[in-house]
Amino acid sequence: MQGKVGYFVGKLVELLVTLLLVSLLVFAAFSIIPGDTARIMLGPDASEAQVNLLRTQLGLDKPLVARYFSWLFGILTFNPGTSYAYNMSVGELISQRLPVTIGMSAIAMVMVVLISYPLAVLSARKPGRLGDQVCSVIGHVLFAIPPYVASLLLILLASSLFSLVTVGNYVAPSDDFSGFVGCLLLPSFAIALPKIAMSFKFLRSSIIEQRASDYVRTSKSHGLSDLKILVRHVLPNSNVSSITIISIILSDILGGSLIVEQVFNLPGLGRLLLSAISRRDFPLLSGIVFYLAFITVLLYFLSDILAAITDPRIRLK
Amino acid sequence: METVKRNKYRSPEASAFYMAGLTLLGIVVITFIISLFWTPYSPDATDASAKLLAPCLEHPFGTDNFGRDVLSRVMAASKYTIYISAAGVAIALILGTVAGIPAGYFGGYIDKGIMLLGNSIMCFPGILLALVAVAVFGASVGNVIWALGLVFAPTFARVCRVGTMEIKELDYITHARVMGVKPYRIMAMHIFPNLVPQLLPATVIGLANMTLFESGMSYLGLGVQPPDASFGKMLSDSQAYIRVAPWLVIFPALMLVFYILGLYFISEGLRVNLAKGGKR
Repeated sequence: MQGKVGYFVGKLVELLVTLLLVSLLVFAAFSIIPGDTARIMLGPDASEAQVNLLRTQLGLDKPLVARYFSWLFGILTFNPGTSYAYNMSVGELISQRLPVTIGMSAIAMVMVVLISYPLAVLSARKPGRLGDQVCSVIGHVLFAIPPYVASLLLILLASSLFSLVTVGNYVAPSDDFSGFVGCLLLPSFAIALPKIAMSFKFLRSSIIEQRASDYVRTSKSHGLSDLKILVRHVLPNSNVSSITIISIILSDILGGSLIVEQVFNLPGLGRLLLSAISRRDFPLLSGIVFYLAFITVLLYFLSDILAAITDPRIRLK
Repeated sequence: METVKRNKYRSPEASAFYMAGLTLLGIVVITFIISLFWTPYSPDATDASAKLLAPCLEHPFGTDNFGRDVLSRVMAASKYTIYISAAGVAIALILGTVAGIPAGYFGGYIDKGIMLLGNSIMCFPGILLALVAVAVFGASVGNVIWALGLVFAPTFARVCRVGTMEIKELDYITHARVMGVKPYRIMAMHIFPNLVPQLLPATVIGLANMTLFESGMSYLGLGVQPPDASFGKMLSDSQAYIRVAPWLVIFPALMLVFYILGLYFISEGLRVNLAKGGKR
């Protein structure tokens, strides 16, 4: 038990230290920005007194360390300040946009698992056969298509084949949930495509490797059916490596959704991020960046824990 | 010395990957080289009488909404794709080796510190970090290169660190140490050359991934700035005309995918060779 608890505590400490470093990085990045924020906000016509007043209001006259801690406190209590451009709470702005980003990522992830797992299992049954090779080649090609290019091609395909013109019509989840899911399907598929290829590739080679191992031969000689060996022995063992892969895929999907949103004109975090960038709205920008990194770190942490639970060997390393 | 011997074995599978990869990459690279000397039209020349022309003899790839020749623009855009990915990977490679080899060689706190920094950089979805860097310092080709170099450095640092940890246990390193060779010399002269076989596939795949990021940033308008042509920018400009002029989307997309896919195939060939070579 000592080892188990020790491992989890160690991972937790690692998580906290990483989050601290991430927050330092984000804060540092937005502190070394050239230019005076108060001056930029008020424009060149404002008097020196006005600029000074705003600077005091924003707390920009305090020392750097004090600003860091007040920023960190704000962000940890989910109250990371007020956006310059929108004049709204950053937390509120982000939570408004979150459903699209999270929804798209979740749908994409479901697609990755539902499509890549069966294909990998089928492909790994008889490696080197025509079906397997076709899958592998298609996988390579899909892997090389950036999600936003895939989106454009899918739009092209959808509009020319099915004369679908609904692309770009966003439905809010509060209005019509199934409509919301429906309008996210195509963008999610575009993000999922390269990740399906990636997950397929790793899972396939992992299954092939496991099937060649001694314990599979032993199980076979004991008279276990192929299906039982696959479900009881091969898949759990291949899963361990795929948990790590999946956390990487999730973080990629999150990053990919930021761009794909733009193609389909969806009001998600990516749009908010771009408008924050173009308006130099740093409280908003730092909030989005920190929370996205926070989600990613949390995902990595959870995948580590999950991998350690499913495979005790990891804890000993 | 057995374990570090360069091996000359080539599997037929790897050869197929090399062939496919070099063909695709070759198309893009040759286009790039020709574009340095000659393009059919000036990539920025507008022609009001030839707007949105479908591919024809005078304009093999058609023209865009300003009457610019798409073939010429695709040729010009290949320059930025190749230039940014090469320069960015060079920066990432240098930063990654300089951080990764000492981390693996010395271990202890140096290792912990460097890896912690690398891991916290990798915590950000890569594209996000690059976008923020460009947002803070301004959108320009130079800044895109630096931002991407920084984002990709931890990947190379990892490869170097793991490789170094394996190599430093070998007898010839111990021998060098006993002979009194200085650590930095061991790392530069004895460890680094033996990391090349592992760094090579990482470099090739880094080029491909960097192109994915760069084109995405250019698509968002935070990469290569107009009027210079880049695949990402061309694709975002042509999106409004996707139904009336699909060639505006198809040709840049095709070239972009050729470049990335070519690199993936080559890295796959390298990987297969490395794996098969190890078994013999």
